[in-house]
Amino acid sequence: MAETGRLRQAASAGPLLSPVTLVRVAIILGALSIWELLAHSGWLYRDVVPSLTRIGAALVDLLSHGDYYFNLGVTVGEIAAALTIGGMAGLAVGILLGANRFLSKAFEAYLYYLGPTPKIIFFPIMIMWFGVGPESKIALGTLSCFFPIALSVAAGMRQIDKVLIRVGRSFRANTMQMVWKIYLPAMRHPIINGVRLGLGMALIGTLLAETKLSNKGIGFLIIQAYSTFDMPQMYAQLIVLFVLAIGANALVGRLGGLANIKSK
Amino acid sequence: MSSSSPPRIAGAILTVDDVTVRFETPEGPVIAADDVSFTVKDGEFLSIIGPSGCGKSTVFNVIGGLLTHHEGTVRVAGETINGPHQSIGMVFQEESTFPWRTVTANVAFPLELTGMPKQKRIERARYFIKMVGLDGFENRYPGELSGGMRQRVSLARTLASEPKILLMDEPFAALDEQTRLLLGDKVLQIQQQLRQTTLLITHNITEAVQMSDRILVMTYRPGKVKRIVDIDLPRPRTSEIVGSEAFGRYVAQIWNDLREEASRGLRDEEAHVLHHEAASS
Ligand SMILES: Nc1ncnc2c1ncn2[C@@H]1O[C@H](COP(=O)(O)OP(=O)(O)OP(=O)(O)O)[C@@H](O)[C@H]1O
Ligand SMILES: [Mg+2]
Repeated sequence: MAETGRLRQAASAGPLLSPVTLVRVAIILGALSIWELLAHSGWLYRDVVPSLTRIGAALVDLLSHGDYYFNLGVTVGEIAAALTIGGMAGLAVGILLGANRFLSKAFEAYLYYLGPTPKIIFFPIMIMWFGVGPESKIALGTLSCFFPIALSVAAGMRQIDKVLIRVGRSFRANTMQMVWKIYLPAMRHPIINGVRLGLGMALIGTLLAETKLSNKGIGFLIIQAYSTFDMPQMYAQLIVLFVLAIGANALVGRLGGLANIKSK
Repeated sequence: MSSSSPPRIAGAILTVDDVTVRFETPEGPVIAADDVSFTVKDGEFLSIIGPSGCGKSTVFNVIGGLLTHHEGTVRVAGETINGPHQSIGMVFQEESTFPWRTVTANVAFPLELTGMPKQKRIERARYFIKMVGLDGFENRYPGELSGGMRQRVSLARTLASEPKILLMDEPFAALDEQTRLLLGDKVLQIQQQLRQTTLLITHNITEAVQMSDRILVMTYRPGKVKRIVDIDLPRPRTSEIVGSEAFGRYVAQIWNDLREEASRGLRDEEAHVLHHEAASS
């Protein structure tokens, strides 16, 4: 806590003058200038790099349409559902594997092999099972975030200080009490880490699925903009998506920060 | 005299009868406790002392019901235990506070498990926090406390469950000498205040003599009961008693018993190291 305090102080001492901030701003300005130069150079095929003003206009246009918010809602809902289902399943499986040596020996190898496999290869199956609607996107997102969460919870289970478990048993805690009052709080850091990784995976899985085959959602809009070659529109969409991803990650990070402060 | 079963003592609240524990290890079976028998009377303070690795923690875990693959029986007020018993409270050798709970929430933990209403359990927790001298730190997290204070939180937490028998496994082992003496005073004071039946495991002779009514000395592997010594020192005691002549005699007597066992243990370990060095070169 003391450390974050010091960091915050350093950052607020001279936010405009700090060399790091200056370099960051310079990088952004540099990238934008190069972009703008390319847009006006005429070297690239029409509209591959549209000018910043046109992207800005597209962004305003995008954000002023109610239609966009409907699609945004669809995607956010899909990701939230995927993270909830995959998170719960990952938590349960992780606890089982972490608690039981036999199960972990029998099953964990599969998780390690399946974990890094790009889940998009299962998308055709998901479409057959769940159709082209949001259900198949949720299924793919769920599948994507399940693995990192399950693996990180299983590892977290094994890192729990054994004496804390003995304390719980000596006070005759029942299974539910052991899980809620000892296992879960003792694993708060690996769980939050798993959820952070899982969120990224759910985001990728869901959007990838939307761009492949769908009739609503942000991924669908992006690919539609691409196929009608409306580049400013597509870039505007990417910018919004980028901002959303950063926001979601910051939110999960914030949760992790809270857990840290609470336990000190 | 020590290896025969003790007579049934009237008023014995804890009876340990012929407890033997065997561990299978890659290097063959290890007998951690061998035919250990003793009783603890209501309100008594008994210490178990013995060289490192003789099986003290093993006996502690058997009595606490955390280790169940033993031979022999443990009875609490006549009732044979097979698992953690409501009447027994344990304080562990290792650091065991919950880092995500405040001091109050740590101490209230056992009360929470029994479903005591929140207001009432906070009140109870405060009472025991005060008893171990941690008032003013109720809302701190263990990470903000010293090792000695954390150990007091563990003690208060176990006391809050109001056990008939308090089991402590080297609760002060990791502390410096001064903290250890002061905490010893605290434990004595609490024990006298609550008339708390206590079984303390230690390998510190001074600590054992200072606090105990009786001291059980264990042998080095296999861990048997070597002798049980009555400590006839007046109560109430404080750390000042450490300077008295009678105290010195008890310490010398127990040290004599222990030296033999400790040096056996040391030889054993040296042989082990030499064996490993020979094997690896
Ligand atoms: N789970 C286990 N598996 C195998 N061997 C064990 C196990 N627990 C204890 N032992 C062995 O049993 C013997 C007694 O261990 P124990 O922890 O009871 O000793 P102790 O008297 O408490 O020692 P210390 O004073 O160092 O705490 C040791 O030789 C130890 O290696
Ligand atoms: Mg021990």
